[in-house]
Amino acid sequence: MEVLKTIRPELLTLSQEQLNCLLPYFTVFGGTCLSIVLSVWGGLKPKWPVFLVTSLTCIIAMFLGSSSGDGTSHTLFNGMMVADAYSQFFNVIFLGAALFTIFSSFRYLDDEKLQHPEYYVLVMFAALGMMLMASALDLIVIFIALELMSLSVYILVGFRRNDRKSNEAAMKYFILGSAASAVLLYGSALIYGATGSTEIRSVLKFLQEHPQSLNPIFGLGFALVLFGFLFKVASVPFHMWMPDVYEGAPVPVTGFMTTGLKAAAFATFVRILATMGYGNGISAAIQNHLHDVLWVSCALTMLLGNFIALTQVNLKRMLAYSSIAHTGYLLLGILSGTRSELGFAPGVMYILVYAAMNLGAFVILTLLAAEGDSKLNLHDLSGVARRHPWLAFAMSVFLLSMAGIPPTAGFAAKYLVFYSAIQANEIPLAVIGVLSSAVSVYYYLRVLVYMYMKDPVGSPPVLRISLWSGLAVAAMILITIQVGVLPERMIDLAKRAVLSL
Amino acid sequence: MSGFNSSLLTILVFLPAAWALAGLLIPVKMGGSAPLKYWALAGSLVTFFLSIFLYVQFSPHGEEFQWLETASWIPSLGISYSVGIDGISLWLVMLTTFLMPIAILGSFKAVDHREKEYYFLLLALETGMLGAFVSLDLFLFYVFWEVMLIPMYFLVGIWGGKERIYAAMKFFLYTMVGSLLMLVAIFYLAYQHKVQLGSYSTLILDLYKLHIPGAGYFGAQSLLFLAFSLAFAIKVPLFPLHTWLPDAHVQAPTAGSVILAAVLLKMGGYGFLRIAFPLFPQAVSLYQVPFMTLGAIAIIYGALVATVQPDIKKLVAYSSVSHMGYVILGLFSLNQIGVTGSIYQMLNHGISTGALFLLVGMIYERRHTREISAFGGITRVMPLFAVAFMIVTLSSVALPGTNGFVGEFLILLGSWNTNRILASVAALGVVLGAVYMLWMFQRVMFGPITHEENKKLHDLSLREVLVLAPLVIAIFVMGIFPNLFFEKMDPSVQRFLNRSSAGITSQPNSASQTSYAQGNNHGSS
Repeated sequence: MEVLKTIRPELLTLSQEQLNCLLPYFTVFGGTCLSIVLSVWGGLKPKWPVFLVTSLTCIIAMFLGSSSGDGTSHTLFNGMMVADAYSQFFNVIFLGAALFTIFSSFRYLDDEKLQHPEYYVLVMFAALGMMLMASALDLIVIFIALELMSLSVYILVGFRRNDRKSNEAAMKYFILGSAASAVLLYGSALIYGATGSTEIRSVLKFLQEHPQSLNPIFGLGFALVLFGFLFKVASVPFHMWMPDVYEGAPVPVTGFMTTGLKAAAFATFVRILATMGYGNGISAAIQNHLHDVLWVSCALTMLLGNFIALTQVNLKRMLAYSSIAHTGYLLLGILSGTRSELGFAPGVMYILVYAAMNLGAFVILTLLAAEGDSKLNLHDLSGVARRHPWLAFAMSVFLLSMAGIPPTAGFAAKYLVFYSAIQANEIPLAVIGVLSSAVSVYYYLRVLVYMYMKDPVGSPPVLRISLWSGLAVAAMILITIQVGVLPERMIDLAKRAVLSL
Repeated sequence: MSGFNSSLLTILVFLPAAWALAGLLIPVKMGGSAPLKYWALAGSLVTFFLSIFLYVQFSPHGEEFQWLETASWIPSLGISYSVGIDGISLWLVMLTTFLMPIAILGSFKAVDHREKEYYFLLLALETGMLGAFVSLDLFLFYVFWEVMLIPMYFLVGIWGGKERIYAAMKFFLYTMVGSLLMLVAIFYLAYQHKVQLGSYSTLILDLYKLHIPGAGYFGAQSLLFLAFSLAFAIKVPLFPLHTWLPDAHVQAPTAGSVILAAVLLKMGGYGFLRIAFPLFPQAVSLYQVPFMTLGAIAIIYGALVATVQPDIKKLVAYSSVSHMGYVILGLFSLNQIGVTGSIYQMLNHGISTGALFLLVGMIYERRHTREISAFGGITRVMPLFAVAFMIVTLSSVALPGTNGFVGEFLILLGSWNTNRILASVAALGVVLGAVYMLWMFQRVMFGPITHEENKKLHDLSLREVLVLAPLVIAIFVMGIFPNLFFEKMDPSVQRFLNRSSAGITSQPNSASQTSYAQGNNHGSS
């Protein structure tokens, strides 16, 4: 109730700077609405207009988002949202993920006879939800943004509506996702009950002013929020939904989920932890509990993800489990963020790098997928390198990057994460991490074995590589190698983003 | 010219890779693969001539690291691009550039499919190896160390024998597990530098200044030493971590085996020399005897297993285990004689084992088998081959006058000063070495021709003579004029010993170490 009293009229109007900060959000929203109109415009074939409008929207919003900020953070809507370097950094990731998902879906949707304009609109709405998530400072806004994103993605997962697997995945994801959202919301309610506010900064302030009010209700609320997020990022033991959903969803959607969705969940997670004072704000008891929970989850996630991925023969499933493993490395970055000098920067940089290389890999999977997302087993890749040397090369770069082999971005990012873990004195966890990533080398290399060292079975189908997918792959390769060879700029960006928290 | 000279190392390292990239543009359909082959050969020869510059201009009594180049790379983590060579890495660089043209020329006939990728990978591999030998920054070293793996993985996996995929995977995973623990140790060192000296740095010379805490078998220093040693010992490979080696060697194409044996295994020994010993002197003194014991076991075990191999290539592979055992024994004896002998033995092993693999490859191209029992009496039909094979075999069994003798003799002498029991055991290995090599030679080359196919074998072609001649010459030059090599090496070895025995002198309470320290005072060879 305190919040309501503090509302002043001048806070309800937007100043010029605030408007500037909000421009990327408005652009995405406007572009998406325009695409909706275009998709039902009578007598117009919506395929090209919608594709162009959504792509252009992403590019313009990315440009606005990366150029508008002056480095200072602007609080918006009476402290419900904030536009800072951190949200800018993530907005670029989300919009990039959306843009390249759209690029890689264009031909795919034609091939699968799914070319409906809703697809692009949903991708854009999901991206908008992600952008709001990364900049929200209020648990309720976070929830709304999360739902905006999740609802769009539920539909996208089930987009191949005549396919049973896709339907099953959508249903599974919907039910489990809703449960997780409910948990998150319940947690927010309990936090509100304990502290009288849903705004993260006020919660922290309240806790600092009334340390005696740290009661079990708050603890329970915080735990529920934590579990909600661990579910969204699919860390063990909340990972069960993920492989099935990733396998059932259309390939480009899976790519979008592993990059955008995961990045959004992590971005919000880190913001909540950092703003709630993980590291310096709240009492040591909570600190230690939090640390222990994350420690166990992190270790299990790295081990389980990598070991189960070993046994997968379907590439989509393999990358799903590898995605779980990468969640583990990300958690490691967050866990050690409080006690290392680099702070959360390694984790944040890892999110970006993971998004780039994983998106690249999924664009290539999209190209490889035959009708109905079949032919994505390891042996279907036999001899791909003979027919498509560049495609195989690109795939190898992405996989080697995920395995953390220099000079790729994956190595630079992993280096930073493990480095900050050593600084934070998490040596056992770092050792578990590197050893499990040695395990991961096996399954990544196995793909290379099939592509380069096995003879093709029969005559491999000639893939038609569309210009748009080619562009997406080239961009991701560029990022993967550029960040790998000269990571300094990216480290700087990540540092600046984290400093603004 | 001065600009060229000051960045000579960078040019040397990246020239092969750039050359390889340019080679990708050569169309294969035009005129077959011949232009491609000669292009690759030319690239490796140019690299070799550049490295001769290094040899001529390197002054042993000048600065420790010459052609030093340092540029900031990732300043926020204190990582820099830093290269330079001393009297130890000079020789390993020379070995690499010397063997590369030979390996390329040696595969002209053996590789008949996907040639473009093949020569590309070989040259890329050269960049990785040279980079690892010249880098003076741990991060840079690690990057090159890993980059090397990828071309080798493909070389074994695509152009290898029947079990090539298994062998390639095993090779990659073994090396990877070791190097990842090394990576953790690198983080720890960089962080220690920050804690102790106030700034981040991964420059090896900066890290030498650290005082790493933790004496005792499982103190911090020992754990770090073990983490590095695991990576290096897998690469060497030291018993009992050697099991990837026979698989990789046997399955790799000839040039792959040559490079693997001649250069990649040296990376392990070089890692001990440059990183593990000088950084962790106290741990070295603690683990001196265990490692020497493993070295001695490797010598005997490798020799025994080699004796019973029916396959020539496998025999040579196990002989590598035995020969590299000497290297470890010499290094851990921690005196001038032993360490010099060790470095010399690394070069020897590169030359002799490289030559052996080439010879095996040549006979395999003719008969498509490597079984010892499939041969016999080859001397009569291939006299030139027999001469070359004889010389190389004798070099491998360390006959005086060949390079092998100098290395093994120095190592035995050096380790005698440190540990007489292990030196005696190792001396037994010399006898066993003669047994397996000469017995194999006798069964393959002498006696009556028992197989009809062997009667029609043709002798070495001009190309094959050109491949073997430089190696045979090197065997004699190294055997007769070892001082050519020692004079450039000695000051660096002395510096290495000063650093590596620092732990022994700064630890006066451990009386057991004094005898080793005395070992260092023996004069230079």
